[in-house]
Amino acid sequence: MTIQSPEPNDTDVASGDEPLITIRNARKWFPIKGGMFSPVKAHVRAVDGVDMEIQRGETVGIVGESGCGKTTLGRLVMGLIPMTEGTITFDGDDIRDINPKELRRRLQIVFQDPGGSMNPRMSVRSIVGEPLIVNGLADGAELTRKVAELLSVVGLKPNHMNRFPHEFSGGQKQRIALARALSLDPDFILLDEPTSALDVSVQAQVLNLLDSIQKERGLTFIFITHSLNVVNHISDRVGVMYLGKIVEISETDELFANPAHPYTHALLSAIPQPSLDAEKTERIVLSGDVPSPANPPSGCSFHTRCPIAVKGKCDVDEPQLESLSEGHQVACHFPVEFGGSLPIHTE
Amino acid sequence: MTWQDGEEERAESRRRLSERLYQTRFDLARTWKIYRRSLLALIGLFMVVSVCTIAIFAPVIAVEHPGRDIQDTRDVWTIDYEPQRKEPFSEECDMREQKVSLTELRRWDENGTLALSPTRIAEDSSFYQETLVVTEYRDLVDRQGYPLPLELLYLDPSNHSFFWISDELMENNSINQITITYMFDNEEMHHWWLPDGYDVCIFGTNEEGQDMFSKILYGSQVSLKIGFTVATLTVIIGTIIGSISGYFGGRVDEVIMRITDIFFAVPGLILALAFVAALQAVDDFTLPLWFALLVPIGLLAVFVRSHIDETLLPKSIASDSPSDSSYAFVRTILLFGTIFVFLVLGPWEYVFEIGESRTWRLAATILALCFIGFILVVDRHFIDMIPTKGIGTRAKDALDWRNPYRYLTFRTIIIFIAAATVFSWSGNDEGSITVIENFDRLWKIQIALVFTGWPGYARLIRGQVLYVKEMTFVEAARSVGAPSGRIMFRHILPNAWAPLLVAFTLDIGGTILSASGLSFIGLGAEPGAAEWGKLVSDGRAFFPMDKWLVFYPGMAILVTTLGFNLLGDGLRDVVDPKNRR
Amino acid sequence: MKTSEFIVRRILLLIPVMVGVTVFTFMIAQIIPSNPAAILCGERCGLVDPVTGKTMLELQIERLGLDKPVTEQFVIYLENLLAGDWGESTSYNRPTSEVVRDAAPVTLEMTLFALLIAYPVGITLGILSAVKQDQTFDHISRFLAISFVSLPIFWLAMMLQLYLGTGTDVGGICDSIFGTEGGCLPIYGRHDAALTYPDRTSALCDTAISGIACYPSWYPSGGSGFHLFDSWFVTDEALASIHPDYASNSLLFNDTLSHLILPSLTLGIASAGSLLRYMRASLLEVMNEDYVRTARAKGLRESRVIIVHACRNALIPILTILGFSIGGAIGGAVLTESIFAFYGMGNVAVDAIINLDYSVLMGVTLITAVIFLLSNLIVDILYGVVDPRVRLE
Repeated sequence: MTIQSPEPNDTDVASGDEPLITIRNARKWFPIKGGMFSPVKAHVRAVDGVDMEIQRGETVGIVGESGCGKTTLGRLVMGLIPMTEGTITFDGDDIRDINPKELRRRLQIVFQDPGGSMNPRMSVRSIVGEPLIVNGLADGAELTRKVAELLSVVGLKPNHMNRFPHEFSGGQKQRIALARALSLDPDFILLDEPTSALDVSVQAQVLNLLDSIQKERGLTFIFITHSLNVVNHISDRVGVMYLGKIVEISETDELFANPAHPYTHALLSAIPQPSLDAEKTERIVLSGDVPSPANPPSGCSFHTRCPIAVKGKCDVDEPQLESLSEGHQVACHFPVEFGGSLPIHTE
Repeated sequence: MTWQDGEEERAESRRRLSERLYQTRFDLARTWKIYRRSLLALIGLFMVVSVCTIAIFAPVIAVEHPGRDIQDTRDVWTIDYEPQRKEPFSEECDMREQKVSLTELRRWDENGTLALSPTRIAEDSSFYQETLVVTEYRDLVDRQGYPLPLELLYLDPSNHSFFWISDELMENNSINQITITYMFDNEEMHHWWLPDGYDVCIFGTNEEGQDMFSKILYGSQVSLKIGFTVATLTVIIGTIIGSISGYFGGRVDEVIMRITDIFFAVPGLILALAFVAALQAVDDFTLPLWFALLVPIGLLAVFVRSHIDETLLPKSIASDSPSDSSYAFVRTILLFGTIFVFLVLGPWEYVFEIGESRTWRLAATILALCFIGFILVVDRHFIDMIPTKGIGTRAKDALDWRNPYRYLTFRTIIIFIAAATVFSWSGNDEGSITVIENFDRLWKIQIALVFTGWPGYARLIRGQVLYVKEMTFVEAARSVGAPSGRIMFRHILPNAWAPLLVAFTLDIGGTILSASGLSFIGLGAEPGAAEWGKLVSDGRAFFPMDKWLVFYPGMAILVTTLGFNLLGDGLRDVVDPKNRR
Repeated sequence: MKTSEFIVRRILLLIPVMVGVTVFTFMIAQIIPSNPAAILCGERCGLVDPVTGKTMLELQIERLGLDKPVTEQFVIYLENLLAGDWGESTSYNRPTSEVVRDAAPVTLEMTLFALLIAYPVGITLGILSAVKQDQTFDHISRFLAISFVSLPIFWLAMMLQLYLGTGTDVGGICDSIFGTEGGCLPIYGRHDAALTYPDRTSALCDTAISGIACYPSWYPSGGSGFHLFDSWFVTDEALASIHPDYASNSLLFNDTLSHLILPSLTLGIASAGSLLRYMRASLLEVMNEDYVRTARAKGLRESRVIIVHACRNALIPILTILGFSIGGAIGGAVLTESIFAFYGMGNVAVDAIINLDYSVLMGVTLITAVIFLLSNLIVDILYGVVDPRVRLE
């Protein structure tokens, strides 16, 4: 057990180029139990070897289909669930060595379901103030003051604090959740699909709020979502996940302009294009279902659905993340050339 | 330090209280809105409220007191004169057969006799009789039961309590004793709340002449007491075990669930029977002092520990919560082991041997508190390497009496209660604590029903805890570092108790049924007691001829149980998430 | 998972529970304040055996193994249990296994017959209640269902005895309706009093110690104990020895049946109440399922939708209650038996407690546990067969 220096000053430590969070070969395998008498039958490989670096003050979006392990990856970074293999360092220290309370203080999370993430029997004051209470940072009148402050930061009125979650709309609830995440003045916030339960109009408001708060406080975000539009709006960099692995990661603009992985292509082609004169891109429809993460395919995990998979290569060799250009990495044997389109045979 | 300095905190505390009240009022209003939709539920509520009211006001509504103690009712109630086994509302309830000894009258040379009430016991335990006002003179028989002409006796026209015996009878030496049958104005057994003319024995009288109506009224007290006691104890035990099982899971859960399997394998009533049998030789329920003190001392330890963590340690120092640390478990064992040794062997016993002096008890309690606090601080200091510097000033802050947040917490109250318990128990020079003094048969069936009932609750609450535990707000609380206790008490239990309330209500009814069943078999209430099951069982000897002896007590059980079941059913609708809004 | 594997697994799961129940009953027996050795030797306890020089009490203690440590006693008890030796009843002067063996069929017969009454009634009313949801019929049947489960079973039994088993002079209703004399159904015993004759070898017939009225089996020997079953298959020779009036099987059978109706009705009413509620809830849930809506959309007649599509699926969860209702009915049987003078496990258990006969008490507890667990096992297996989803878990 280590002794933490009292009140570590975030801004002082924030200097230097080293990334805030480094993920090295993170794996999380959930065991499937065979029953009372038989031991573990198999593992669900929710996260299966992820390498990533997150710089201070940036927003990294993680996109993928549901079940691809993006939420589990988020939980690993938060230290909420133990890792099977690999290391995650936060600010230079392995998160397993950081005192749990300290870790909770500096890493915060905003959940997907704004209603579900709040205890329906607690007032907003208790919800937003809970981190302060459990960490012994404020109590009584001081707590009320701090909560009022936090509520005005996220654009709510201080007198909302005596109300209960069911009295608020989805967008307001998400603001309250954000206020709770900000209450401990963290360095990093994990946003786990914070907007997917909201109406599109409200989504924009929340995203703008996130943006302004990030700029104001110099926060680092991981933004987990399945919506590419949202990612495009808020992220500096984007990682695409498929079956527990990052298949492509790049600057947002670069990724949208020059997607290299066929899966990314497929995702991007699924975005509806509003303008009439836009180039008619061929819509790539992936055949088949996502394979079971308990029994992932050999070789490249995407080869079962990949339109350009080559037999004897893709189903044997597992591609590793390789740099394509500066800051653009892809895990594919046959990455699509710069600006090119996917050479597929339309059915 | 002045009182004014804490005004801001106190105002905040008041605001929070009103906030809490608002939430409660809102919850109740919504509950009522859903509840009143169902007619059956409303009927159930009405029945339960009625039965409870009757139980509370039984002494006022009933005509006679069933005796000082429910256990020796037979002594008080055995009255030869009262009309025995009379039908409900029968005229004969007002009728008395009085024996008059003519020899005695002749000896005193009187030819008048008074209509007298049966012998009663006054407050000071002396015996007395009252004169009765005769309304109708019915019958006259001699000792052998042969009827005599009614004219041999006549009522005094000015005093309706006085019979004149004719000279013919007085001089007839062959008749030594006569029995007069008359109706009387029964003030003693008249219900003040009934108009004149509807006098007594609404439900008839039993073989000892006791008014069944009054007995049944008093029976409601016994049944409700059993119902509430058993249901409450079962809920508490079941909740504790079930939430441990659900929250910690793993091997603990596995063991607890296998134990409940065993309980479920044997039908409840048979298990209760066996347990009552096992308790047969137990006269009072006592615990050794050191064992009884484990609970309050354990509570003290847990809460003092969190108190120390939150108030005495420097705020910026975050200590890990017990569940996260790998050797926290070992440490907890060590801690409690030390306390245990302290309790059993240490100065504890020695101090209590000194006697009952209040000073000593106070000293012992303070000593215990200091001891716990001391080992906890030492524990924190050496194992977590938390500096103890400045602990004095922080302790002074912690005892700030102007700030309600310092003393109006659940934790402080528990510490206080635990300390008071330790204080009051510690003066016990017998080395044991009597939990239930008069461990009679009613207590035995109650304990047996608790014993057989907890597994149901344990499973219920475990399922609920498992369900709520997976909700996002629990993860949210965990992600900000809330400790296990807070998650359990602030987040999981408040959201898990709703089905428990339904089960609790239904269980009161079920318990009343089971308890009356056990009494019926002869394992529950003592003979003659005003307990419904026992009344039915007593009436069995005269069944089916005197059916009211069985019918009305059974109806009472049915109405009460039905009331609680309807109430529980209505609450189930309220609790059902489908009916929210 | 294959069906056979599923069944084997279920059976294996029973073993720890059974061992647990055994430990449990043994522990309770240890607490019961009773000295079986002293009861067994009675007045002769003080006599000294000339050969060994020990008193009879000491000899009994040695014979019962009461001088050994508790754990050893338990091991011996367990070994004996597996070998079929359930100990010796102190109040009946017979081996416990025989006492239990004679008592168990009585309770089981009553319980099974009660469920035979309860299931059709409960399920039919449940379906009707669900179909007529929130109509008057529904309200009334729900009220009845709750009343049924709130009825004190011993009181219900006595009321049934009064109204169905007595003449008009006492308060019965049968005479005026059916023109019978003295009620339509016999109110106690398992058969006509004329068929009772003292049978010293029979189950519960040592009045000297137990104080229980001698109420032996009319069936001389070799029967299954299920009288309904036995009376159907009884041979002519056996019949002749019972009573000259009962010349044919059917008379005997009718007699047994008529004696069984009231106790079973008593037990059945309470079960029917809870069944009605479960069936109603289950059917209402199923009616909201998509496949029922689809069936309606196809234009099927409502009756067909309910019977073929909804009820079939709604009945599956009802199956699980079967196991529990057997347990509940056995519990209720304790009270019913004492009123109808059926010498089944309930009465035996109560007598065992009054006489502090812990060997019998343990035997009854064990056998009820076995019956309950086995019925649940059968239900589980049936459930697995009916609903293949269960096996996957």
